Amino acid sequence: MIKSVIITHGNLGRELVQVAGKILEQKLDIEIIAFDWQGDGSAMISALEKFIARHQGQKVVIFTDMFGGSPSNISTRFVGPDVEVISGINLPGLLKFFCCEEPNGNFRQLVKKVEQEAREGINIISEYLGDKK
Amino acid sequence: MIEKKQQIFNKLGLHARAAAKLSHLANMFSADIYLIYNEDKVNAKSLLGILTLAASVGNEITLQAAGEDEQEALKAIGDLFDRKFDEES
Repeated sequence: MIKSVIITHGNLGRELVQVAGKILEQKLDIEIIAFDWQGDGSAMISALEKFIARHQGQKVVIFTDMFGGSPSNISTRFVGPDVEVISGINLPGLLKFFCCEEPNGNFRQLVKKVEQEAREGINIISEYLGDKK
Repeated sequence: MIEKKQQIFNKLGLHARAAAKLSHLANMFSADIYLIYNEDKVNAKSLLGILTLAASVGNEITLQAAGEDEQEALKAIGDLFDRKFDEES
Protein backbone atom coordinates (compact mmCIF):
# COMPACT_ATOMS: atom_id res chain seq x y z
CA MET A 1 0.00 0.00 0.00
CA ILE A 2 1.39 3.39 -0.99
CA LYS A 3 0.91 6.08 1.65
CA SER A 4 0.99 9.79 0.97
CA VAL A 5 1.55 13.05 2.73
CA ILE A 6 1.30 16.61 1.42
CA ILE A 7 3.44 19.40 2.84
CA THR A 8 2.90 22.96 1.72
CA HIS A 9 3.24 26.58 2.66
CA GLY A 10 0.16 27.46 4.72
CA ASN A 11 -3.10 25.69 3.99
CA LEU A 12 -2.51 25.14 0.29
CA GLY A 13 -2.25 21.39 0.81
CA ARG A 14 -5.45 21.19 2.82
CA GLU A 15 -7.37 23.06 0.13
CA LEU A 16 -5.93 20.93 -2.68
CA VAL A 17 -6.87 17.74 -0.84
CA GLN A 18 -10.36 19.03 -0.11
CA VAL A 19 -11.01 19.96 -3.72
CA ALA A 20 -9.59 16.67 -5.04
CA GLY A 21 -11.76 14.80 -2.53
CA LYS A 22 -14.85 16.70 -3.72
CA ILE A 23 -14.13 15.86 -7.35
CA LEU A 24 -13.47 12.20 -6.60
CA GLU A 25 -16.33 12.07 -4.10
CA GLN A 26 -14.24 10.30 -1.51
CA LYS A 27 -12.31 11.08 1.63
CA LEU A 28 -8.68 10.97 0.61
CA ASP A 29 -6.27 8.96 2.72
CA ILE A 30 -3.47 11.50 2.93
CA GLU A 31 -1.69 13.22 5.78
CA ILE A 32 -1.62 17.01 5.58
CA ILE A 33 1.23 19.02 7.06
CA ALA A 34 1.19 22.83 6.91
CA PHE A 35 4.45 24.78 7.00
CA ASP A 36 4.66 26.88 10.12
CA TRP A 37 5.62 30.36 8.88
CA GLN A 38 6.96 31.37 12.28
CA GLY A 39 8.96 28.24 13.00
CA ASP A 40 12.32 26.92 11.83
CA GLY A 41 10.85 23.86 10.18
CA SER A 42 11.55 21.52 13.10
CA ALA A 43 7.84 20.83 13.66
CA MET A 44 7.52 19.85 10.02
CA ILE A 45 10.58 17.56 10.20
CA SER A 46 9.23 15.90 13.31
CA ALA A 47 5.78 15.39 11.75
CA LEU A 48 7.38 13.86 8.66
CA GLU A 49 9.65 11.60 10.70
CA LYS A 50 6.65 10.33 12.64
CA PHE A 51 4.64 9.74 9.48
CA ILE A 52 7.43 7.77 7.84
CA ALA A 53 8.14 5.78 11.01
CA ARG A 54 4.45 4.91 11.27
CA HIS A 55 4.55 3.50 7.77
CA GLN A 56 7.86 1.69 8.00
CA GLY A 57 8.13 -0.96 5.31
CA GLN A 58 5.57 0.79 3.10
CA LYS A 59 6.13 3.05 0.15
CA VAL A 60 5.56 6.74 0.83
CA VAL A 61 5.02 9.66 -1.55
CA ILE A 62 5.59 13.15 -0.21
CA PHE A 63 3.89 15.89 -2.20
CA THR A 64 5.24 19.40 -1.85
CA ASP A 65 4.10 22.68 -3.37
CA MET A 66 7.29 24.11 -4.87
CA PHE A 67 10.75 22.80 -5.68
CA GLY A 68 13.30 24.71 -3.60
CA GLY A 69 10.76 25.85 -1.00
CA SER A 70 11.16 24.83 2.64
CA PRO A 71 8.59 22.00 2.55
CA SER A 72 10.37 20.55 -0.46
CA ASN A 73 13.88 21.06 0.91
CA ILE A 74 12.97 19.44 4.20
CA SER A 75 11.32 16.51 2.42
CA THR A 76 14.39 15.89 0.30
CA ARG A 77 16.29 14.41 3.25
CA PHE A 78 13.78 11.54 3.38
CA VAL A 79 14.16 10.43 -0.24
CA GLY A 80 15.11 6.76 -0.49
CA PRO A 81 14.07 3.44 -2.02
CA ASP A 82 10.73 3.60 -0.19
CA VAL A 83 10.19 7.36 -0.17
CA GLU A 84 9.76 9.65 -3.14
CA VAL A 85 9.07 13.39 -3.23
CA ILE A 86 7.01 15.03 -5.96
CA SER A 87 7.39 18.80 -5.86
CA GLY A 88 5.04 21.34 -7.41
CA ILE A 89 2.04 19.11 -7.05
CA ASN A 90 -1.20 20.42 -8.52
CA LEU A 91 -4.80 19.28 -8.82
CA PRO A 92 -4.32 17.06 -11.93
CA GLY A 93 -1.38 15.29 -10.30
CA LEU A 94 -3.22 14.70 -7.07
CA LEU A 95 -6.29 13.45 -8.91
CA LYS A 96 -4.14 11.02 -10.87
CA PHE A 97 -2.66 9.63 -7.67
CA PHE A 98 -6.02 9.00 -6.04
CA CYS A 99 -8.24 8.35 -9.00
CA CYS A 100 -6.68 6.11 -11.45
CA GLU A 101 -3.91 4.02 -10.08
CA GLU A 102 -3.83 0.77 -8.17
CA PRO A 103 -2.78 1.55 -4.59
CA ASN A 104 -0.74 -1.64 -4.60
CA GLY A 105 0.71 -1.08 -8.05
CA ASN A 106 4.29 -0.39 -9.06
CA PHE A 107 5.69 2.46 -6.98
CA ARG A 108 8.08 3.96 -9.55
CA GLN A 109 5.50 3.73 -12.29
CA LEU A 110 2.88 5.49 -10.19
CA VAL A 111 5.23 8.30 -9.19
CA LYS A 112 6.20 8.82 -12.81
CA LYS A 113 2.58 8.86 -14.00
CA VAL A 114 1.58 11.39 -11.35
CA GLU A 115 4.48 13.66 -12.33
CA GLN A 116 3.54 13.37 -15.99
CA GLU A 117 -0.14 14.14 -15.37
CA ALA A 118 0.76 17.15 -13.21
CA ARG A 119 3.01 18.53 -15.98
CA GLU A 120 0.42 17.92 -18.68
CA GLY A 121 -2.14 19.78 -16.60
CA ILE A 122 -0.39 23.07 -17.29
CA ASN A 123 -1.33 24.74 -20.55
CA ILE A 124 -1.33 28.16 -22.12
CA ILE A 125 -4.89 28.00 -23.32
CA SER A 126 -4.39 30.13 -26.46
CA GLU A 127 -1.56 27.84 -27.57
CA TYR A 128 -3.61 24.79 -26.75
CA LEU A 129 -6.53 26.08 -28.79
CA GLY A 130 -4.12 27.10 -31.55
CA ASP A 131 -2.98 23.50 -31.87
CA LYS A 132 -6.58 22.44 -32.14
CA LYS A 133 -7.45 24.84 -34.95
CA MET B 1 -11.73 -3.90 -31.24
CA ILE B 2 -15.28 -2.65 -30.77
CA GLU B 3 -16.92 0.77 -30.96
CA LYS B 4 -20.11 2.30 -29.67
CA LYS B 5 -21.71 5.69 -30.26
CA GLN B 6 -22.69 7.35 -27.03
CA GLN B 7 -24.62 10.51 -26.32
CA ILE B 8 -23.89 12.68 -23.30
CA PHE B 9 -27.03 13.12 -21.22
CA ASN B 10 -25.87 14.81 -18.02
CA LYS B 11 -26.27 18.59 -17.91
CA LEU B 12 -22.66 19.36 -17.01
CA GLY B 13 -21.13 17.14 -19.68
CA LEU B 14 -17.68 15.63 -19.18
CA HIS B 15 -16.66 17.90 -16.31
CA ALA B 16 -14.18 17.04 -13.55
CA ARG B 17 -16.34 14.80 -11.35
CA ALA B 18 -17.81 12.92 -14.31
CA ALA B 19 -14.35 12.49 -15.81
CA ALA B 20 -13.10 11.16 -12.47
CA LYS B 21 -15.85 8.55 -12.37
CA LEU B 22 -15.28 7.60 -15.97
CA SER B 23 -11.51 7.20 -15.69
CA HIS B 24 -11.89 5.30 -12.42
CA LEU B 25 -14.29 2.89 -14.10
CA ALA B 26 -12.11 2.54 -17.21
CA ASN B 27 -9.14 1.64 -15.04
CA MET B 28 -11.01 -1.40 -13.77
CA PHE B 29 -10.69 -3.04 -17.19
CA SER B 30 -7.59 -4.38 -18.85
CA ALA B 31 -8.77 -3.36 -22.33
CA ASP B 32 -7.43 -0.20 -23.96
CA ILE B 33 -10.33 2.22 -23.95
CA TYR B 34 -10.60 5.47 -25.89
CA LEU B 35 -13.09 8.30 -26.27
CA ILE B 36 -13.30 9.93 -29.66
CA TYR B 37 -14.93 13.32 -30.09
CA ASN B 38 -14.52 15.52 -33.17
CA GLU B 39 -10.99 14.67 -34.24
CA ASP B 40 -9.66 14.03 -30.76
CA LYS B 41 -9.00 10.59 -29.38
CA VAL B 42 -8.15 10.33 -25.70
CA ASN B 43 -7.37 7.55 -23.28
CA ALA B 44 -10.44 6.91 -21.12
CA LYS B 45 -8.13 5.93 -18.26
CA SER B 46 -6.74 9.48 -18.10
CA LEU B 47 -8.87 11.96 -16.20
CA LEU B 48 -7.01 14.85 -17.76
CA GLY B 49 -7.37 13.35 -21.22
CA ILE B 50 -11.13 13.16 -20.83
CA LEU B 51 -11.30 16.78 -19.67
CA THR B 52 -9.46 17.98 -22.77
CA LEU B 53 -12.39 16.84 -24.92
CA ALA B 54 -14.59 19.57 -23.37
CA ALA B 55 -17.61 17.52 -24.44
CA SER B 56 -21.01 18.85 -23.39
CA VAL B 57 -24.55 17.64 -22.95
CA GLY B 58 -26.09 16.54 -26.23
CA ASN B 59 -22.75 15.80 -27.86
CA GLU B 60 -22.16 12.38 -29.30
CA ILE B 61 -18.86 10.66 -28.75
CA THR B 62 -17.47 7.32 -29.82
CA LEU B 63 -16.35 4.78 -27.24
CA GLN B 64 -13.68 2.42 -28.45
CA ALA B 65 -12.26 -0.59 -26.64
CA ALA B 66 -9.74 -3.28 -27.52
CA GLY B 67 -8.81 -6.16 -25.29
CA GLU B 68 -10.02 -9.22 -23.47
CA ASP B 69 -12.79 -7.48 -21.54
CA GLU B 70 -13.74 -4.94 -24.23
CA GLN B 71 -17.43 -5.94 -24.24
CA GLU B 72 -17.83 -5.57 -20.49
CA ALA B 73 -15.88 -2.30 -20.52
CA LEU B 74 -18.07 -0.60 -23.13
CA LYS B 75 -21.22 -1.92 -21.48
CA ALA B 76 -20.21 -0.54 -18.08
CA ILE B 77 -19.06 2.81 -19.49
CA GLY B 78 -22.17 3.17 -21.64
CA ASP B 79 -24.29 2.52 -18.54
CA LEU B 80 -22.45 5.26 -16.67
CA PHE B 81 -23.24 7.76 -19.44
CA ASP B 82 -26.86 6.58 -19.56
CA ARG B 83 -27.16 7.01 -15.78
CA LYS B 84 -25.99 10.61 -16.27
CA PHE B 85 -22.97 9.79 -14.12
CA ASP B 86 -25.38 9.41 -11.18
CA GLU B 87 -25.55 13.19 -10.96
CA GLU B 88 -29.21 13.64 -11.76
CA SER B 89 -32.29 11.67 -10.94
